[in-house]
Amino acid sequence: MTDGSLGADDALREEVRAWLADNWKGLPKTPAGAGGAGWGASPGLKAWLKTVVEARWAAARWPTDWYGRGLSDTQARIVEREFAKVGAPGAGQDRTNLWANTLLAKGTAALKAKLIGPLLCSEVSMCLLYSEPGAGSDLAGIRTRADRQGDVFIVNGQKVWTSGAATADYGMLIARTDWNVPKHMGISFIFLPMKQPGIEVRPLRQITDESHFNEVFITDAVAPVENLLGELNAGWGVLQTALAYERSVMGEGARGPRSGAAEARGEEPLIALAREAGVLDGPVLRQDIAKVIAYKRLNALNTARAKADLAQGSSSPVMSLGKLAMSRILHEEARVRTAILGAGSLLEGPEHPRAEDANFLTLNAYFTSIGGGTDQIQRNIIGERVLGLPKEPEVDRDIPFRHVRGG
Amino acid sequence: MATLSPEERAALRDSVSRLLADHSADADVRRVMETDAGYDADLWRKLAEMGIAGLVIDEAYGGAGAGPMELEAVMEEAGSALLCSPLLSSGVLAAELLRGLGDEGANQRLLPAIADGSSIAAVALTGATGSWTADGVEVQASAAGHDWRLDGVADYVLHGQNAGVLLVLARASEGLVVFEVDPGVGGLTIKALPTFDHTLRLARIDFSGVSARRINSAEPVWDAVRKALDLSLVALAGEQAGGARRCLEFTVDYAKSRIQFGRAIGSFQAIKHMAADLLLESESAISAARNAAARLAEGAEDADAAVSLAAFACADAFTRVAADSVQMHGGIAFTWVHPAHLYLRRARADAQLFGAPSIYRERYLEALGA
Repeated sequence: MTDGSLGADDALREEVRAWLADNWKGLPKTPAGAGGAGWGASPGLKAWLKTVVEARWAAARWPTDWYGRGLSDTQARIVEREFAKVGAPGAGQDRTNLWANTLLAKGTAALKAKLIGPLLCSEVSMCLLYSEPGAGSDLAGIRTRADRQGDVFIVNGQKVWTSGAATADYGMLIARTDWNVPKHMGISFIFLPMKQPGIEVRPLRQITDESHFNEVFITDAVAPVENLLGELNAGWGVLQTALAYERSVMGEGARGPRSGAAEARGEEPLIALAREAGVLDGPVLRQDIAKVIAYKRLNALNTARAKADLAQGSSSPVMSLGKLAMSRILHEEARVRTAILGAGSLLEGPEHPRAEDANFLTLNAYFTSIGGGTDQIQRNIIGERVLGLPKEPEVDRDIPFRHVRGG
Repeated sequence: MATLSPEERAALRDSVSRLLADHSADADVRRVMETDAGYDADLWRKLAEMGIAGLVIDEAYGGAGAGPMELEAVMEEAGSALLCSPLLSSGVLAAELLRGLGDEGANQRLLPAIADGSSIAAVALTGATGSWTADGVEVQASAAGHDWRLDGVADYVLHGQNAGVLLVLARASEGLVVFEVDPGVGGLTIKALPTFDHTLRLARIDFSGVSARRINSAEPVWDAVRKALDLSLVALAGEQAGGARRCLEFTVDYAKSRIQFGRAIGSFQAIKHMAADLLLESESAISAARNAAARLAEGAEDADAAVSLAAFACADAFTRVAADSVQMHGGIAFTWVHPAHLYLRRARADAQLFGAPSIYRERYLEALGA
């Protein structure tokens, strides 16, 4: 690094600090949310984000035409670090704001002009309209249709596993626009306005008795053609762009303190639970407890090793193993918690918090082993992309989608 | 202990890997495992010239002065190549026991020959139960003037039949003591044991009024044993991790090339999913082994937990990978000429050598305060 760029970095750091000192006074008694999270932003947060966007700190890597400063990644990290130091949200949305990033990369000029600013300010909130009852692991098998009529698409179908659907202004929709080509080639990617009569949102009651997701029923809903991202029928490629942003944000999230050596600080929860239940001296149970703690520790060690490999510039096969490892950890921990409690696990309710924990974990473990790609899909990905094993033949890959079996 | 830089460690690993590629290929292993000694004297000399025989022995005694991380890296390569050698017995377990005991005379007398590979040392500790605990020691020591006499049996002695010097744990009136014994001395009977893993060498040693030389200890003897055992566990974990990785590699290669039903068997999810699960096992083993080596090298407070974790995680991983490897290959791996069973035999042996995985799961929990 030359003295000149060092000087530029220092100047930038000083500029951000000075700006924050002048402008950041904290948020009015609301829990600080992540800048680009989308839904549920308080008025105070929205006002602050607007200030950040106008000062061009929200997406500093982006070009100056689009709220940015054209900074390098290194410089943008300086901006983000200064914001983080004082606890101010809103910077780094060029990494973390899935919606705005996808739109900037693939949107029409008209849609970008209309929505990128409001998205950065969390004035507009969004949801994902990807999965369908008949298209889970096989996402390219979607059957929600978008038919062009003049200047609009008419959309009909059903989506599922949508969080934030009830409050969202737009949904990132994948819909079929050509039924006469193979499945990946007839999909388009559309920003669908959610606040219209053709959209019905119904909360899904999960096996945990919670409702974090919705079903979305779409009947003759309308989207202007300018809301198309990428070319018509090129939506599968746009989706890959969006999924890449999503994964990178999830990856950042996974780098929190929980994935480190957290165990070192306090007693392992399973040990504490067994001690409390008076069964810590059971030799069979002790073996099981040791196995589960080991799975957790090994996953943390794998993650640390993968990060070290990445830092040295070589990619690591270990990175792709984390999700599969986490599924096993959660299911096994739930099983051992249940074994520790014995008959106690028969109960539920606020008077039985240990049983609540074990029973919730037992069911919620499927969130990880099914959501975001089932363990079985994950094993395919590891087998094919990491180990280089050949793909299964796909019987529906090269035939017109209207001849593909669904169900 | 000196610790090499990551680059130096990688260079060490590479040179060992190249040497073993040339001299510990499948045909070499099969030839050597059918010999009485069970190791290739020429290869052992080459390893000694590279400093491997005395890798963790202090430079003052002619060793390379390296630490657990270098040892672990070398052992990954040894496991990968199914190396037949007395390294674990002599250059690790015995050498580290001597270091722990800290008897300067014994160190000067014994370590240089161990370090240059000219003498193989074996540790006789376990009795009929094969248990690596103080209770498991069955040899009795009695004072005879200035001399000592040993009686009893030591079983499962690693490379006992190849030893140029024996370090024998025995019960004296004062407690456990380590003795130096010349394998050629009268009253001593060394019987080679038939081992399921043909690349392993174990012996049963009978002591009947055997003359022995006491090795003094600066600290409680069992503390020195425990240190030597921990370093040996790290070495073994490296061997297991390297063995598991290699075993998975050739299994995946086979799944790509073996055609049934008109396509590579690796395209079937039944095989592909097993391979994905085994990758998690073998990569976790590598993480565990390297972490244990690093924690031990640092002298970290949680080294005990890290070593215990590696001991059972690497044992379980290697055993599972080797076992599933046979299944995934199908009929070809049921034949003697295929290497899969050699890895399975090594995996099953390694998993019991210093105590079963269940013992180390228990030790892990104890290290975590449970």
